Amino acid sequence: MTIVTGKAEARRRLQPGRSGVLRKIWEHRADYAYVLPAIAVMLIVIAYPIYYTIELSFFKTPPGLQLRDKIFIGFDNYTTILASRVFWKVTWNTLIWTLGSTFISFVLGFAAALALHRDFIGRGVLRAILIVPWVISAVAASYIWRWIYHSDFGIIGAVLVGLGLADRPPNFIDSVSTVLPSLIVVNIWREFPFAMIMMMAGLQTVPEQLLSAAKVDGASAWQRFWHVTFPHLRNVSTVTILLLAVANFNSFIIPWIMTGGGPSNASHIWITHIYELAFGRQLWGVASAYSVLLFLILMTLGYFYVRALSGNERKEGTA
Amino acid sequence: MTRITLGSAVLRGTVATALMASLMSTSALGAPPVDLSKWSPEYVRSIAGTQDFDTAADCAKVTPLDYKGRLTFWYQGVFEGDPDLLRQYYKEFFETFRKTYPNIQLEEQALTYNDLLDKFRTALLGNAAPMAVRLQILGGTEFASKGYLEPLKPEDVGYSTDDFWPGAMKAVTWEDVTYGIPTNNETMAFIWNADIFKRAGLDPDKPPATWDDVVKYSKQIHDKLGIAGYGLVARKNAGNTPYRFMPQLWAYGGGVFDEATANPTYKEVELNSPQSKAALQASYDMYVRDKSVPVSALTNQQADNQPLFLAGQLGMMISHPSDYDVMLDLQKKATGTDKDKAQTVIDNMRYGLIPTGPDGKRAVVFGGSNIHILKPEYVEGGKVDEPAAKAIICMWTSPEWSLKMAYAGSNPGNLNGFKTKWMKERLDNIEFLDVTTSMLPYGIPFPALPQSPEIMNIIVPDMLQNALTGAMTVDEAADDAAEKVKDLMGGL
Repeated sequence: MTIVTGKAEARRRLQPGRSGVLRKIWEHRADYAYVLPAIAVMLIVIAYPIYYTIELSFFKTPPGLQLRDKIFIGFDNYTTILASRVFWKVTWNTLIWTLGSTFISFVLGFAAALALHRDFIGRGVLRAILIVPWVISAVAASYIWRWIYHSDFGIIGAVLVGLGLADRPPNFIDSVSTVLPSLIVVNIWREFPFAMIMMMAGLQTVPEQLLSAAKVDGASAWQRFWHVTFPHLRNVSTVTILLLAVANFNSFIIPWIMTGGGPSNASHIWITHIYELAFGRQLWGVASAYSVLLFLILMTLGYFYVRALSGNERKEGTA
Repeated sequence: MTRITLGSAVLRGTVATALMASLMSTSALGAPPVDLSKWSPEYVRSIAGTQDFDTAADCAKVTPLDYKGRLTFWYQGVFEGDPDLLRQYYKEFFETFRKTYPNIQLEEQALTYNDLLDKFRTALLGNAAPMAVRLQILGGTEFASKGYLEPLKPEDVGYSTDDFWPGAMKAVTWEDVTYGIPTNNETMAFIWNADIFKRAGLDPDKPPATWDDVVKYSKQIHDKLGIAGYGLVARKNAGNTPYRFMPQLWAYGGGVFDEATANPTYKEVELNSPQSKAALQASYDMYVRDKSVPVSALTNQQADNQPLFLAGQLGMMISHPSDYDVMLDLQKKATGTDKDKAQTVIDNMRYGLIPTGPDGKRAVVFGGSNIHILKPEYVEGGKVDEPAAKAIICMWTSPEWSLKMAYAGSNPGNLNGFKTKWMKERLDNIEFLDVTTSMLPYGIPFPALPQSPEIMNIIVPDMLQNALTGAMTVDEAADDAAEKVKDLMGGL
């Protein structure tokens, strides 16, 4: 039999229900107090802009009026977007851009990480060199690549013509069919070092004794990779891919500086299109509706990212 | 270096002056400082250096020289395509202002042509605009119509409305109220490389007379020499594109609306008229059919054409007289044999009038910039130091500084600038100034509408890109652009 003192009973009564979220919050009240200032700041700089963007997406903002004189039009901006030919073109471009950049950056980064995981002379130097594209400014890189690709006097064109491999410089960024793949190449060049670093970190966690044991058991290099290394990297791979996908979905600098979304909208992706709608054409309402849709997509990706991270933590917790 | 003979062109220019005088006339035109009906290079030479001005004394009447205040100021400044000479004058202007008004704390910020509108619009949304701003000619009506600008007329800073180009005043006027003062106004000219012409079998001293000739010459240069004939520019969100395509569009008899007529109403969209389509077809013929222009035209600006021209890889282009100085600046940076090659190009650089359309119409964009004062509620801190703003506006739009700040590439917004000693000096120092002066009578202002920036910076370049990339046919591209303009105008 438990003897309940008056003090303990009073404490119990002060506490909310024994089960549920409130009880948990109460139990962690000190923790919440510590993060309260950060939450307050986030509410101001994140929550309010999100709310305002959602609100603005229901209004029309004609070029002859100030934003404060906006006109309520309900869901018209959303229906306008979905009925627009450009929307589908830009969405298709965004998918190609995101999937192409993410997948190839990951594969190249993973391959580079595997190669650099082994010990060899000059490994440190090579690591440093391969990280360079990731650390230099995206703006500077975009301008440099614009000149490399230049359709009349770019470096690649000059080399190809000089070697007699082409009659005239190839058209990389002034053609609707080649511009997007050309920009994806630049993006991959800039991003694969990130994937490489992530995967190199992941490779450090693969237990050496397991690989040795597999080797003793007669497993080939491929079998060791597939059955030992790769399963250990599943979570870090998921996180890396999700981070790359979110970054690519939100990517702005490379396509905007190199082509401004052109020619003929062939390299417009969502984020550059939103920028043009808002700041070039002042269609704040339409741009906001686009942003809301983009936000929902990114939140979905974010959900999977958090789930992948939580899965990681759970596994580590049970290990 | 051979100077081109303007002969008949000047004669035609004089005739066109009558048209311009009517095009640009306003009822306010009382006793203008210069007689626009007599406009010609000879007339400009005759008035240059005939009057002295004391800028500090004039501006002291507007804002006392010991006035204490603070001013935030954004301006469309020099960029990579401008000559060093212009950079020097900008530097000198701000130094002189600080010396003239030592107690005004000036916080200026230079922005490039292509960045200024976006940044300014964003700042306005957050009520974080500067107290005064110098905008490109396209921007005036947009911001005036939205109510961001304070009424401001030349008389407010000690000048007369008659001191400024009437056409330029239209660009700062919205619903009969004036919201700014022109700082500089310009018309461009046609530039060609005589040596390339000669090697391509063309008369080195005779520019193409019509746009159809431009298409033919461009092809001939490309076919004979394997280099680009004409420096087409079709980049989106770049001011260079409308400044080069609109003269072509107007010369063919087309237009976005009826802006090329004497009394534009801007009611009917004409981007898909047969004449407009003919102009677009000419660009298509050069880019797609003949492949006689830079492939990079879709991502290029004029600043990209300049090194191509200097390298002898481009036969013709449209630009300011300042391009001659830019070529000299670039040549100084070249080394070895490149330096000699560049010198050959400079020696063979010729300027002429922009070609006409099939019916003899000649046109050029009447460009420039304006200076404005913002309303306090849109300014960071909610206050505008009006005397300080008027001090800088008075100085910039003075005969002296409106000329100096436009020294190499433009013309003074204040017509009295043509009478200064610096104009006389400029006529001797700046090559080919006569040609662009001769083009002034053919100048057509962009439509004075709040929608103009979108039309000129996005819809027109989009039309070009859609046609030139094959994404649409010429007809489809023109129809699509016309539809976009109609939709845009259909809003409020």
